[in-house]
Amino acid sequence: MASAALKEQLKKQIIEQLNLEEVKVEDIEDSAPLFGEGGAGLDSIDALELIVLLEKHYQLNVTNPEEGKQVFYSIDTMADYIEKHKA
Amino acid sequence: MIRKASCCRFTSEGIFVNGEKRFTLNHFEEELTEVYRQLSVEYPKFYKMDLMSKVSFLGVELLKGVDSELALHREDEEVGLLFANSESSSQTDLRFEESYTRDGLPSPSLFVYTLPNIAMGEIAIRNKWYGAHMFSVFPNFAAAYFADYGRLMLKDGAKRVVGGWVDVREQPDAAFFVLDSSLLENREEALQVLNQVYSNH
Amino acid sequence: MKVPVYIGAESIVSSLGRSAASNYDQLCKGISGIALEPGIGWKESDVYLSRIRDLPAVGPFASLLSASLEELSAGWDQALLTSSDTQVIISSTKGELSDDLLNPFHAVIDGLINRFGLVHRPLLLSNACISGVLAINLAARMIGEGMCRHVVVLGADVISPFVLYGFQSLYAVSDVPCRPFDQDRKGVTLGDGCGRVVLSVEKNSFSETPALYLGGGDANDANHISGPSRTGEGLVRAVAKSLRNAGVDTQEIGCLNAHGTGTLYNDEMEAIAFNRLGLETIPLNSLKGYWGHTLGAAGLIETALCMQVLRNGIIPASIGFENPGTSKPLNVVIRPEELKKDIILKTASGFGGGNAALLITRS
Repeated sequence: MASAALKEQLKKQIIEQLNLEEVKVEDIEDSAPLFGEGGAGLDSIDALELIVLLEKHYQLNVTNPEEGKQVFYSIDTMADYIEKHKA
Repeated sequence: MIRKASCCRFTSEGIFVNGEKRFTLNHFEEELTEVYRQLSVEYPKFYKMDLMSKVSFLGVELLKGVDSELALHREDEEVGLLFANSESSSQTDLRFEESYTRDGLPSPSLFVYTLPNIAMGEIAIRNKWYGAHMFSVFPNFAAAYFADYGRLMLKDGAKRVVGGWVDVREQPDAAFFVLDSSLLENREEALQVLNQVYSNH
Repeated sequence: MKVPVYIGAESIVSSLGRSAASNYDQLCKGISGIALEPGIGWKESDVYLSRIRDLPAVGPFASLLSASLEELSAGWDQALLTSSDTQVIISSTKGELSDDLLNPFHAVIDGLINRFGLVHRPLLLSNACISGVLAINLAARMIGEGMCRHVVVLGADVISPFVLYGFQSLYAVSDVPCRPFDQDRKGVTLGDGCGRVVLSVEKNSFSETPALYLGGGDANDANHISGPSRTGEGLVRAVAKSLRNAGVDTQEIGCLNAHGTGTLYNDEMEAIAFNRLGLETIPLNSLKGYWGHTLGAAGLIETALCMQVLRNGIIPASIGFENPGTSKPLNVVIRPEELKKDIILKTASGFGGGNAALLITRS
């Protein structure tokens, strides 16, 4: 649904914003869970930075971490959310 | 005979372990990443740390490399952490302030580092050290702090104390050392050793 | 600890007033100092805060510390302040941050030395939210080891946009006055605060009968820099150390004044830790529903309040609590009740994985 270009851009932004220095774009699978063991292995502070990222780069407001859990599940869910809420 | 303490010193010239230069530092923050890689530590959380925590982390890793007794402690309450500096967390405080005054949004990942004791927290997490810990702020390196309060920590149950002085805002100016009861037994001697650790570069 | 260490001359400066006694009275009446401040938060959000009235716009931190030392004579032999046997310890997370981000402490401390003729440089402890309890424990240990005879312990922090925006970026600020341990709790309420206690070997240096410091300890979770341990590891160890140092059994404790910030995770962690320690039946309260979370001042004003509880014999309710909200049970005080045993346990937890606890009793 959401474009491959958007997903790639998202991955780059996440790597930069979250200081995931040893992670490359190729390492992040579109549908893999971002949080917990394996994959990007993000934690609770990262979740908050993702909220910042969405606001800074996409002017979208995820208003609380609970809503965030669904939106930030994977690159796919994030990209879908962005596509859905864009102007 | 003056006892020696295992020590690691960061200055604008480089990183010295027990007096020997191990790494050169020209462009501070970027080079720390290189030091981390050379140590082959495998601890990706390092990349998220602020400068003060990165320096502290590397300092203690290097100390463990030369102090085998320290390196033995894991998952216990027996290592005390006694840190101080002159800057508090101001290097990160500046960056956090910029995140909302200049970059548009307050950054949570920076905010969590705007307290000087977080660096000790990172070391505790890395080593599973559950023991006592304390952070103070002084205008200059205060050997008496480490000698006197280190001794208190040892009396209170710590087997050894890792002391740390961590200033990072302009030049790197940090020192990490291991304090044990034989070193701290004689206060005058301990002050001499600590001042030497700090000033010998 | 061989020599008895007395703790007294407590003072509390908060949104509810400028003395320990007046604060205590209002707490027993269930009055909170938390109020809504429109437009103060990030993006001009309205935020509940607990503010000290009439703080100067410049130098608020210094003015709080100064006033506290000036008013020392109400509770202690002020002449001892300039003795070489006296040490001052100051607990604070951000000091005079709003005036001088790069140098929030040194100039303030220099000012105090000059103004009050202090012999030794005040020790500045900056250990996040456990600083206050840590400072009191350190004071007792210093006296116990003969490093000094008296320690004046001050704790102060002032709300700033820096700290408020920071907590908001963590989504940790409650949109209603905080509700420690309650099932609907949503986060912290921040507050200005300044607290003071004096520890001394000389019982007669106090104007009113002091309490007795029994013991304390601190420990690290070694788990996460801003989230508490799921098992309450550090808090369990800190309390266990305190009980050991004090030679006190859990069932001798009459009141447990917890940290209780009102966040989901902190209060849950404390419930787990207190159950692991066998403290779940001890009357428990958090005071943060009255004053908010005063960061570096918290350990001081809350311990000062515990001293008032020892003096007056009534435990204030844990305001903001209606329904249990933790996976393990606690005996939360819902209306002021009599203190039945005269030992009080105070705990604190904070960013960086820190946990600290202390025990006091009547002397």
